[in-house]
Amino acid sequence: MKYAIPVLFLALPLAAQEIKMPPGLDKLAAKASEVVDVSLDGALLQLASRFLSDKDPDEAHVKQLVGGLKGVYVKSFEFDEANQYSQTEIDEFRAQFRPPLWSRIVGARSKKNGENSEVYLKTENNQITGLAVIAAEAKELTIVNIVGFIRPEDLRDLGGHMGIPKIDVGGAKKGHDKKDKEDDK
Amino acid sequence: MMDDFEKQIQQALSRKDPSPFFEARVLAAAKRDARARRANWQMWWASAVAASLLIVTGSAWQYEKGVRERAAGEQAKARLELALKVTSVKLQKISQKVEHIQN
Amino acid sequence: MVFSIAYHFLRERSAAEEVAQDVFLQFHRRFDDFRPGPDREKHISHWLRKVASHRCIDYVRKQRTQPASGLAVSLEDAPPPSVAGEPADHFLNQRLESLIASLPEKPRMVLILRYQEDLMPEEIASLLDMPVRTVKSHLQRSLEMLREKIGRSMGNIR
Repeated sequence: MKYAIPVLFLALPLAAQEIKMPPGLDKLAAKASEVVDVSLDGALLQLASRFLSDKDPDEAHVKQLVGGLKGVYVKSFEFDEANQYSQTEIDEFRAQFRPPLWSRIVGARSKKNGENSEVYLKTENNQITGLAVIAAEAKELTIVNIVGFIRPEDLRDLGGHMGIPKIDVGGAKKGHDKKDKEDDK
Repeated sequence: MMDDFEKQIQQALSRKDPSPFFEARVLAAAKRDARARRANWQMWWASAVAASLLIVTGSAWQYEKGVRERAAGEQAKARLELALKVTSVKLQKISQKVEHIQN
Repeated sequence: MVFSIAYHFLRERSAAEEVAQDVFLQFHRRFDDFRPGPDREKHISHWLRKVASHRCIDYVRKQRTQPASGLAVSLEDAPPPSVAGEPADHFLNQRLESLIASLPEKPRMVLILRYQEDLMPEEIASLLDMPVRTVKSHLQRSLEMLREKIGRSMGNIR
């Protein structure tokens, strides 16, 4: 499968993380049983990319994917018990994704178990220049901000490669799908 | 066959038990350690690569710079892979939820 | 076992617990490396003793580079304390413990592994990465020294 990476990124100045991670999130680490906290700016991404092998198909694919990126910021917390984080941090983070630059392309909420998942895309000159994910569950909170040229399906389709588990999504369509659904069950 | 003196030494060196809360402290430390290791395995990997390079290669100053750069690069690569893994899994789960709702 | 080795070697409870905790943490990290099988327990025991021994020796060497605190008096040459009503065996045990603790690191550990853990010289040699003849030599010389010192302080002991 081939993934087209726009080559115009060199011409478009992309700021390093203009989206701020809520500072309150750092306090969650003390309460979490598992923490992933990764901040890679452009320089570190370039450095990492140098150590991705061109000969390994998976690593070569990641190298191509990363080639258009200026920053990768992930904070993920797993807790032993529910209700360890407040909505304030999430609202603070979400508030930064405003139109016209940002649009929410996925919103899936479950009133039954309080789960809320959102995906935002930043679009400039008809190019995707940013991706943000909020995945809030009872015992888990993950927020992701990726700066640069990326397509959500490129990341999603990493499943099954490089030790990333492939989750059966039941034949989800590729490409931009504007879905905004609530599960009221 | 031990003589009396050796038996006396055996008695003097009979097994001793730690304090009553020792076991609980060790278990707590093991839990903290496991958490820290999961977050830092990539740093361990970079150090292991750096250490193995030091063993294999020759001149100190010339490779020291290369080793540091390699360790930093491997660490960055490992962190990148971790970030992409987390993001991919989340996106897959979100897709799964959306499919479930649609159907 | 691990704590006891450390305690008899270091003669300080908190230091022994520190070393023992360190060993158990390492064991926890490497637990999956011990393949299931009939000899697993034997391998684990061997590994624990080996790591405990080396950690204790390293601990003492590290302490040596730091400023001395606490007991630095050599007990070998001191006259035996007079403790009225103290059972001779208990006193003898204490005296032996002190003398063993005053041995250099390797002979001290050899003695502990021999008499606390009941290991044969070949097993001790494998744990401490030293030749069997060196283990036997340490044992012989340590026993001679202990007999001589105990004999001086308490009369002859066979």
